[in-house]
Formats: sequence, C-alpha cells, structure tokens
Amino acid sequence: MSKDGFALQMQGVRKVYPMADQEVVALDGIEMDVAEDEIVALVGPSGSGKTTLCTIAGGILTPTDGRVRVGGEDITDYSAKKLTEFRRTRVGFVFQAVNLVPFLTARENLLVVDELGPTGRSRSDARRRADQLLEELGLADRANNLPGQLSGGQKQRVAIGRALMNSPELVMFDEPTSALDSKLGDQVVHLIRDEMKQRGTSAIIVTHDERITHYADRTVHITDGRITDHEYAAAAVG
Amino acid sequence: MFLAAKEMHRGKVKFALLLVAVSLLVFLILVQQALSRALVTSFIGAIENQSAPVLVYATDALRAPQGSVITPPMEELVTASPEVAEAGRIGILSVTFPTSALAEGEELSAVVWGYEEEALGAPADLSAGAYPAAAGEAVGTAGDFELGETLAFEGPGGDTVTFDVVGLAEDSQLAVQPTLFVDYADFEDAALAANPTAMAVLPSLMAVAPATTEAALISDLRAASVDLDPLTRADAASEFPGAGQVEQSFLIILGLYGFVVPLVTGLFFLIITFQKTRALTLLRAVGARSGVLVRALLWQVAFILGGGIAVGVGLYALTSLVEIGQLTIVFDWGMVAFWTALLGVLGVLSALASIRRVLAIDPVEATTGGGH
Amino acid sequence: MRLALRELRRQPGRFAVATVTLTLIAILLMFLGGLLDGLLQSATGAYRAQPGQLIVYSDTANDTLAGSRIDGDLRVQVEDAVGGAGVVGGIGELTLGARVDGGDERELESVALRGYEIAPAGLPDAAPALREVWADPDLAETYEAGQTLLLGPGRSEVTVAGFLDDSATPSLGGLWASLDTWRAVLAESRPGSAMGEETVQGLVVVLEDEAAAADVAAAIDGANPTRTLTIDDAVLAIPGVEAQNSTFGQIIGVTLAIALVVVALFFALLTVERLSLYAVLKAMGAKTRTIFAGVVVQALAVTLIAAAIGVAMTIGAGQSIPAGSLPFAVEPARLAISVGFMALAAVVGSAFSLRRVARIDPAEAIGGN
Repeated sequence: MSKDGFALQMQGVRKVYPMADQEVVALDGIEMDVAEDEIVALVGPSGSGKTTLCTIAGGILTPTDGRVRVGGEDITDYSAKKLTEFRRTRVGFVFQAVNLVPFLTARENLLVVDELGPTGRSRSDARRRADQLLEELGLADRANNLPGQLSGGQKQRVAIGRALMNSPELVMFDEPTSALDSKLGDQVVHLIRDEMKQRGTSAIIVTHDERITHYADRTVHITDGRITDHEYAAAAVG
Repeated sequence: MFLAAKEMHRGKVKFALLLVAVSLLVFLILVQQALSRALVTSFIGAIENQSAPVLVYATDALRAPQGSVITPPMEELVTASPEVAEAGRIGILSVTFPTSALAEGEELSAVVWGYEEEALGAPADLSAGAYPAAAGEAVGTAGDFELGETLAFEGPGGDTVTFDVVGLAEDSQLAVQPTLFVDYADFEDAALAANPTAMAVLPSLMAVAPATTEAALISDLRAASVDLDPLTRADAASEFPGAGQVEQSFLIILGLYGFVVPLVTGLFFLIITFQKTRALTLLRAVGARSGVLVRALLWQVAFILGGGIAVGVGLYALTSLVEIGQLTIVFDWGMVAFWTALLGVLGVLSALASIRRVLAIDPVEATTGGGH
Repeated sequence: MRLALRELRRQPGRFAVATVTLTLIAILLMFLGGLLDGLLQSATGAYRAQPGQLIVYSDTANDTLAGSRIDGDLRVQVEDAVGGAGVVGGIGELTLGARVDGGDERELESVALRGYEIAPAGLPDAAPALREVWADPDLAETYEAGQTLLLGPGRSEVTVAGFLDDSATPSLGGLWASLDTWRAVLAESRPGSAMGEETVQGLVVVLEDEAAAADVAAAIDGANPTRTLTIDDAVLAIPGVEAQNSTFGQIIGVTLAIALVVVALFFALLTVERLSLYAVLKAMGAKTRTIFAGVVVQALAVTLIAAAIGVAMTIGAGQSIPAGSLPFAVEPARLAISVGFMALAAVVGSAFSLRRVARIDPAEAIGGN
C-alpha cells in the first residue's frame, strides 16, 4: 500500500524519442497523481501521448526525464529486469487487442502471470485466487473454456480478472470498450467501475468512449504530450 | 519484383535460413551422387574400364575377381568354344610394396593385374604415357602412382620383382586398391615370388572376345560347364560383390533428399503467405492485381531456388577440388543440369499451394475484417 | 515452460509443418545410419565376434587375414611373448561359394568359412567336429540344420550342426568350424594356398587384463615379424571400411546441419506469428528468458517427436528389409546418438529466434493493432 495515499505519481515526466535528425517529444512535462481508489479516464486524439503515458506508468518504458512512483515505489531508475518483476507483481494491464492467450482456458489465462515467474505465492494459493476472481466476475462456469468459446464480454472479463490476479496498485485499461457493441460496452464499463471500487484499486483508462468519462472519477485530457485539462466528475455515478 | 525484394529485405533472417537450407540440400545431393559414383568406381573401375568385352569367372568365385581361379580344364573349355574369337588370361594378385613415389615412405598394398593381349584386359584408355612394351613395364592407376617410378617387392623366398610405371589410367582401381596392369608373364613372376611354394600359377579370369554376339558366347560357355560364369563387362562391374548394394542404397537416399527440397520450400512459402494474408488483402483492396502478387511470390521462389542451387553447386565445385579420404569427387555438369531442372520444377510446383492461397484472397475482407 | 507445452498440446496444427519436415529428416538420418551399419556389419561382423582383444597378423599381410600366414614356430614365439598375460588361439578364414548337396549347381551362396580354436561370441566352447559347421543367424533363411553343404570348387562336404543366435553374435554370412576343417577345405578348394597342420592365418589373443593390450601388442611385434592390432584397429584396416565410414559420416554431418537449419527456419516463422502474444506476456512481466525457454522446449519437443517416429520407422525398416537385398542394420547406440544430435540441433536451431524474442517490445502490446 502506498505511503502517502497515491497509487501513481508522475512528476515532470518527459519522454523523447530520437529519430533520424530530429527528436519526437511524446510526453512533455507530465504532472499527474492518481489517488488510491481513483478511476481516471485518459482522453486525447491519436498521437497525443496517452499510450506512452500508460506504458511509463505501467513500468514498460522509462521516462527520459522526471520521476514515476507507483504505490510509493519509485520506478524511474529501475533496470529492465526489475521493471519486469515490477510489472508482474504490482500493476495490471487490460489491452485492447490480443487480450487472452488463445490456447489457455479462462482459468489458465488468469494463472499465466504466476507461470511467468515468482509472485511470492504458491500454486495452490494462486489457483484459489483465480477461482475466486472468476466467481466474482461471474465466470465460474466458464473456467475451463478457451477464449474461442467465450463471448466478447466474457473475454473482457477474463482479461480484467487476469489484471487483478496480483492485487495490483494500479490497472491500466487500453480502450476496453472499443471492440464491443453498446450494450456490452455498458456492462464492461459498469464492471470495471464496480471491480475497481470494490477492491480499492486505482485505474487509468485510455478511451474515446464518453460513457467511461461519465463513470470515471476524473477525466484527464492530453494533447501533444501535455495534459491540458482535468475534469472531475460532478458526482459519483452508482 | 519490388514487392518481392522489399519483403525479403525486411525478413532477411528467415529468407537467409531457407536459402541456407536449400543450398545445403542441393550440395548434399550433388556430392552424394558424386561420392557414390566415386565409391563404386573405386571398387570396379578396373573391370569397368578394361578392354575385354566378356570376362569369364569361376562360378565358385561368386563374381569376386580376386577369389576366382581358372583351372586348366576350364581354360580349355573356354578356348575350345566356337563362340570365342579370341581369349586371353587375366591374373590378379595382391602384393605389398615397401613404398612408392606417392606413398611417402609408407607401405603400399596394391593389386597386380596381368593380361595377355591389350585388347583383352588392359585399361581401355590411358591418361598418360604408354602401354607396357617391354618386360617389367606397367600401367598404374592415376593418383596412386607416378609416371616413371619403379616399384619393387620382395617375396618371402627372397625373389624380387620390379615394375616400371610407363603409363597411367584413370578410374581403374580394383576393390579400392591401387592397381598395376602388367604383361601376364610379369604377373606370373610376381605370383611365384609371392608364393614360392606354389606348384603352378593359375589365372583368375579369362578375357574373351565373341565370334558372333556376346549373348551367344555367354550362353555357350554357361552350357559348357557349371564351373564357368561368363559376364559382359557391364555385368561384371555391376555384379561385383557389394558395389551394387552401395549404389542402390545411395539412390534411395538421394530420392528422399530430393523430396525434402520442395517440401521445405513449399511449406515455407505457404506459411509466410498465410502470415501476410492481411497485408495481401490490403494490397488487393487498394487495387493490386492478383497476377502482381503471384509474380512477387514466384520471384521469391525463383530467388531461393536459383540462389540455393547456385550456392549448392558452388560448394560442390569446391569439394571436387579436395580429396575426401581416398575418393576424389568429379564435377559432373550433366548431373548439375539434371538436378537443377528437377529441383527447379519441383520447387515451383511446391509453391502452387501458396499461389492458390494468394489467388483466393478476397479484397472485400480488408473492410469487414481487421482488428479483433 | 508449462505454457509452451500447453500450446503444443492445444494447438498441434501450428507445429505440424515443422514436425513433418523434421520427421523426414530424422528418417533420412537414421536410415543413413542403418545403411552404414549394415555395410560395416557385413564387412566386420566376424572380427567383432572374435574373443579377446588383439589380432596378430604376419607383417607381410598388410593387415588382412587373407594375406597373413603364421606357422607353428612363429606361433610359439608369439605365445612366448604373450607369456602368462593371456591365451592365444589360431584363426583362419576362407570365402567361397556354398551349394546345397543335391541342389542346383549354379545356385551359390557366398559364405565365409571361419576356423577357430577359442570360441567366438555365440559359439559353444568345444570346437565342432571335423566337417561340421555352425552357421551365422542370417544363413538360417537359406539353409537348414543337418543339411550337407558343398563348399568351393573342391565341393568339400560339411554338415550344418546348427545356427547361432541373432543376439549372440554380430557375425554374418559365416560358417564356423574347427581349424582342421578349415585347412581341409582350403586344401581342397585352393590347393595353391594349402597350409600345413600348424599353420594358421592369424592369432587372437585373449588377455587376463584388458588394459595390458598395448603392452602385449608391443611385446609381440617387438620380438617377431608380426603386426598386432586391437580388434577395433583390425576392423578399420579392412579395405573399404574407412572409406565408407568417413563418407557416410560426412553425409550424416551435413544432414544434421540441415536439421538445425530447418528447426531454425520453422521456429523463426513461428516466432513471427506469435510476436503479439509475446509482447503481451512481456508486458505482464514475463522475462525474455522465460519466453525463450518456451521456444526451446517446443523445438525440443517437436524434434524429439520427429526423432521418435524416425526411430520407429528405422526399426520397422530393419525388420521388413529382406536379408541380403540391402545392407541394413539397426544399432541402438547409433539411434541414440542420432536422437541426441537432433536434440542438440533443435536447441541450437531455436537459438536463432532468441534475438527476435529479446527485441520484442512490451510496449507494442498496448495501443491496439
């Protein structure tokens, strides 16, 4: 648990890519804090840097300048090896595409994190947690199905389950509703909010979808690598 | 061509690996065939390349010339046959020389092959020098002996026999041994020196020229005695114990290897065609004609096959310059042409599955599919 | 690793291509080995059946039995040199055609009549009676126990006492007899090469202490006009054996290289197909090492499956190839080595994907297609 109540703290974060004879500034002086238990929607046009922000927050990339703290842990100077371990144990990801491993059942997809390296718990503990999550996500009877046998919404729920397996500080969602029709998208949005709030887990959701901005505690607008606006939700939506 | 080259450039490693695989296979096929020829020739060269059209063995020898003995009664039957125009003896003896010019101080075990007439048992062609004219002269197998050298061996009884190499013949070894072709009288001297207690020296084979046809000669001699086993030169070579089996084994293997080439190539192109289905669909959607895409595929197939064959042939050529143990590999253009044609055709045929896949692409899929 | 194996089990079709191709190569590899062993066995089986560690030839023999001759006096001297280190036994060999008594005169089988004193593998200790022979296992297809055979141009009569057991001897195409029988047949078929009563072609030396072989050999050759070789060296000296060994050896080597390249190729292709999956795994915290270990495990599994099929088919071929048509022998040691080398080729071949796997950027998992 974070020392000072923040799941994420980004101070003066810059990310610059050298390209041929120029530099591409993907992020330019980002200041952003995400409180424990806060759901932040990250909105911006293509190329605005929202994906880059997520990858840095999630410990996939390191910033060129600035500092990043996740759950009180300063990961700015972590080596690739330490970042790998960090990702495995402290954060969760729900990707837009290629969410699930196609040849693993729903349960096995949840357990895959434990297969990838030591997580500090035994196999039976992991299995218990997986089954519990599946139950909570309403997938107990689908535990042995392959992704090919699951609906779009069910797959999304499995992905969320997997992101929650290691009880992360922070979960990053990348366009979770873009591939779903409106009814399903609604369900998923509800689900995300409920699950996050229930566990007190923070989330950053990259999205174009207005429904999510309604459900989020705060909407952050980002353009050309800079945060242009924070919008706080008028009231919590139940 | 542009598409083909671009794709290969982007995927250098995988195309390079395929090229290496094809090159190695082609190299292996060519070298194997050459090796099997070289191996077999080293067994039977003496028989295959000597001048007599028909050789008569003792039946009991089971077509192994060194094990064959022609007794005087058998010899009489041969010379008495009306189908025989001319007959001459051939004597085969194994000896050990203390050394030779090319043996570098080591002992040399060799075969002494004695013949009576040049047209009945001498090597058909010489690569250097001349046939023996005087006593003690010999034609030696090229690569084993040097023109002008003299070899001497001493029998257990103390008798010494010398041979002067006055001619060289290619591909004329017997049973993988350096071979000296000498006059029959010299062979007799050598045989007596090698075995002083022997009462008589008997020939190993009879070399025979037919009066009418080889077939008539052979059937006449077979009927004359159960102990006579007459064979045409070609049959004597192919029936040499062990030689036929070696050749047969190699042929089977060659066939299988030949099959691996189109298999690997065809499967490779099928896989990458499947992998780039989306890209291909996109190209079709923006207006590329199927023919263009198929041609790009064929360019790549041609590049791989052509390149692989070229490298394989090059390696084969290099190998033919080196000696592998006792065998020399001969570079055979005919063989190269045959395999180039065969593998080329098979390779293109193997790409048919991929071509079909390319032709089956529906540009509509670019719009409805995409992203999951 | 479990992930990798699970993928193999659940999506076998993906690996079908690599498996099929590698199976073909495995069959080729092991078939080649079988051919080589078959060729070698027919040439060398009798030597390997001999008891003892050393063979003594006369030094004029050029390391072949056919050219060697050891008379009684020389034998005594050799025995002196050996001393108490072991026992010495005479051997002689004669290749000739065998006919069945009463059968077609032109129907001849090539056999090797082998005279011995100290029983080689598979033979009873006491040498057979005069004119009696024990036949090698492959001759059971042609002859029967109790049959009389006529050997060589001299039509020497011998009776087949029985056949050796397949598993007891590596020898092929031989008739084992006492030295007296051998000498008698030799005199009848090759009068010019007849040998006296005490004369043999070679001697085998059976040592009490195997390690003393080199010393004993030196002692024998130091004092006598002989050439003493270990059985392995004697085998290599047989004309053609060395050539066949090295020729086939090189072909087998190149074939293994091809197997390596095929593994590298098909797994490079497979890696390309799974780039996005790997990116996701890396984003979730999988180490490059873990992912790569999975690739190696799959390459090994596929190769071992191919090798297993290769072994099965080679053994099958060994059973179904009629004896005498094609030289073919299935040697467990060679099969094991072939499998081992294929596994090695798999591991090295999969290393080609390492760079690609290492280069996968987990950031690619985020941000859509």
